[in-house]
Amino acid sequence: MTVSDIPIVGDLLESGAEDRVFDSLLLAGPVLILVIAFLGRSTVTVGLAAAYVLFFVAYVLYLGVRR
Amino acid sequence: MKGAARTIGRDLGRIFQALAGLLFVSILVPLIWGEYYAIPALVVAGLVPFAVGYILTSRFRDAARPGKLHGMIIAALGWFCVAIFGSLPFLLIAWTVELAPPILGEPSQTSTLAAFTNPINAVFESMSGFTGTGLTMTDNEEVLPRTLQWWRSFIEWIGGVGVIVLTTAILARPGSGSLTLYESEARSERIHPSIVSTVQTIWWIFILFTFVSILLLWVVGMPLWGAINHGMTGLATGGFSITDNSIATYDSVAIDFALLPIMLLGSIAFPVHYLILQGDLRNLYSDLQTRWVFIYMGIGTVLLTVLVYVSDTYDSLFTAFRYGSFQFVSAATCAGFQTATDATNVALGRWSAQAQLTVVFGMVVGGAAGSTVGGIKLIRALTLLKGIRFRIADVFYPETAVRRLKINGRRLNEQEIRQEFEEAAIIAALWFLFLGLGTFALLIMLPQGEYTLENVIFEVASAQGNVGLSAGITGPESLPTLGKVMFLFNMWIGRLEIIPVLVTLRAVFDRGGLYR
Repeated sequence: MTVSDIPIVGDLLESGAEDRVFDSLLLAGPVLILVIAFLGRSTVTVGLAAAYVLFFVAYVLYLGVRR
Repeated sequence: MKGAARTIGRDLGRIFQALAGLLFVSILVPLIWGEYYAIPALVVAGLVPFAVGYILTSRFRDAARPGKLHGMIIAALGWFCVAIFGSLPFLLIAWTVELAPPILGEPSQTSTLAAFTNPINAVFESMSGFTGTGLTMTDNEEVLPRTLQWWRSFIEWIGGVGVIVLTTAILARPGSGSLTLYESEARSERIHPSIVSTVQTIWWIFILFTFVSILLLWVVGMPLWGAINHGMTGLATGGFSITDNSIATYDSVAIDFALLPIMLLGSIAFPVHYLILQGDLRNLYSDLQTRWVFIYMGIGTVLLTVLVYVSDTYDSLFTAFRYGSFQFVSAATCAGFQTATDATNVALGRWSAQAQLTVVFGMVVGGAAGSTVGGIKLIRALTLLKGIRFRIADVFYPETAVRRLKINGRRLNEQEIRQEFEEAAIIAALWFLFLGLGTFALLIMLPQGEYTLENVIFEVASAQGNVGLSAGITGPESLPTLGKVMFLFNMWIGRLEIIPVLVTLRAVFDRGGLYR
């Protein structure tokens, strides 16, 4: 069984920009929010959240430059 | 008409079932926060639309596909009924707490929650949420149960994209008349040839952006629950908050500036987002509406900053820029978050008349069509301006000249120009007509001398533009019942761009023989 076989998740992955990086960000988002909910604000969680946002922006720019 | 009623009934049933799904999903929130007394209210609130939806879809299963007229009536009635059903959690939870049955733990009542024991307040909140308006009947959002804080944010988030878009993504299948319904909900852009694929992609983009928004707000210092709720309502350009003084509660420069790109994301059309996510960044300036989102927000920000600075509302240029930029972007993206409040600085209602009217201008025009914003939309404003310039320039050309008008890369011939200009002019004219009527009616309803004319125009424009900024008129006590009913109408027509509602009212009156 792969990730795309999971009911709602599979539909979501099929609907997007057909880019595995964005799909991964989409799946990692709620996981990261759950981690923050359990662990609270710390250097590690702030770093992870900041990395998520920065990676998203950087990847969009990277795609733009590459094109 | 019998066939039409069957089609309308079947599709309304689907919308109600989708709404029931939202309510059942929301049961997770009281479970997580331990607000068990709210669970029966949510179950009942979900069962009612589910039962009605089930009956309608099963009874009219074989109804024909919707035509244009059906689509408009389904959109108008669908949004109205969704606002009614969506008010049930407010009403039932408020009454549960009011009656405080021992079996449910005798939760304590607050005056904020007690306001929702009045059905008109509950419907107002629901309509305001689903239409992404953000005007509220609460005095202090902080004391609301988490379940209702969530429900307010959730319905704005769903409403930002659209109830029909949601229903189409979940329940519709290709060839079921989805295009007609999609277009009736003030959308026309396609990402893929199939409408079902298009709406699924819209949701994919919206969900991804929601996670990015939530995490950005949390990184800059907002507590997690606030980040979740404000990330959702900011991206949906809805503007409901879970704090008493909206974003002003945090009094944080970082949070103010972090919300700017989130609101801007919500005001850019989804097809453009799709292209940008595929690396085609040229769309940020080559797409007419997106280019003008930035130009318009830039000019508005500078103008408002100057106005609040020279009128001595703020004593430093940076403070004027901080509040001016936030309030203009909040108004023009129709988000309706407020940082200008008396609790931390100067309330919007006490800004100079020129500054208030600049904010009104932002609310009237709105952002890009095909996004989550309200207002007339930039493309219509630009079509009107270009059309007027074209007509005036026409006089200087010989009668035999063949002229074309270029809008967003399309070269329109005479007939196309007339059609596009006419549509933009009709919607703009109706928009200003209802703004004028609403202002006149509210001036009569409110106590003499309590509010200025600019306050009243501001409030009506905010309701009709689905913005949610308030000059202080909207509230459970301050707004008369008749005013609440009028604002319900303003929010409803504003979200659907007026025409589907007028078509529905005509169909209802015509059928009832009230005029002919």
